[in-house]
Amino acid sequence: MTEKKGHFDEDLDLRISPKLSEDLNTLFKPQFSVPPELDRAIMDQAERRLVQRHWRHRIFHHISLWRVAAAAAVIIFAFSLNLTQEHGPSTSRTVPVKAQAVDIDRNGRVDILDAFKLARHIESAESTDKSLSPVLGTGQALQKQGWDINGDGLVDRNDVDLVALSAVRLDKNKGVL
Amino acid sequence: MDSDQELIELVNQGDPDAFEALYRRYRDWVYRLAWRFTGNQQDALDVLQETFTYLLGKFPGFSLTASMTTFLYPVVRHISSTIRSKSRRFTSDEEILGELTAPALKDTQSSRSELAAVLTVLPDEQREVLLMRFVDAMSLQEIAKALNIPIGTVKSRLHHALKRLRQDRGTQDYFLE
Repeated sequence: MTEKKGHFDEDLDLRISPKLSEDLNTLFKPQFSVPPELDRAIMDQAERRLVQRHWRHRIFHHISLWRVAAAAAVIIFAFSLNLTQEHGPSTSRTVPVKAQAVDIDRNGRVDILDAFKLARHIESAESTDKSLSPVLGTGQALQKQGWDINGDGLVDRNDVDLVALSAVRLDKNKGVL
Repeated sequence: MDSDQELIELVNQGDPDAFEALYRRYRDWVYRLAWRFTGNQQDALDVLQETFTYLLGKFPGFSLTASMTTFLYPVVRHISSTIRSKSRRFTSDEEILGELTAPALKDTQSSRSELAAVLTVLPDEQREVLLMRFVDAMSLQEIAKALNIPIGTVKSRLHHALKRLRQDRGTQDYFLE
């Protein structure tokens, strides 16, 4: 069946008499109203489902937050470990640095002043003795002080670097010996 | 009084009272529509319950893009069709109107039964649009959206339905000034 279509762009007169409106509504009005038991059943169902879903949603939300926080913590920890390794001594200086060994001025703290002090000692030793080999006088004296930090038999610039590195690391951790 | 949008927002947050407010607002509208589609009380009540169960299933996360009636109309129509085919208690609105035009009724409610008689001979599409406009109180835009047809088609169908009522001797009295 084809539907006749006209142009209805202009406002259609939709006014009908109140009597027609009333009779249409009367014709299509159900003879019985909705029983209160059905109202109650629908509302009970709504309450059960909404409360259940709301809590499920909240719990899931909290679990998700904890998961994200835990993942972030693991990533940060792994990243900091990685950083530590990257800034560690090279293969020529792989001997672990003992914190006590780098406290040059024995004041209980390892800071950049220890590195300066060691550097000054080395400098003054070099001026008197060009070589800091273990068998030579002043170098041997420095070794006896326990300042051969990397344990390579020499007290030199590399040891100063290690002290400086330790100072920075300990400072980052706010560590005190 | 909260708007539909505000109530929906509250239901999305798990508020059963807001759902009850929505239910009270649209219960009779849905029931009357379901009764028109199914033609009997029991099926209409089943449709009512299933419609609100369907609506409940949309939460949380439901957002209304048109009016509530535009959303509900196709839902009620679809559920009514399913329940009708299951229950075999099928009585269309045409059959409801047929009962209303019975001679016994004509004596007491002549104008209403004349109206029912004219409505039975209207094409289904025209009758549906007429009832949506004047019984379900939907705007032309809402009807167009609910039926997923252009607004021009809605106007056309309505125009032809009203023209038929104006021209028919049984109903032309409704249009006399």
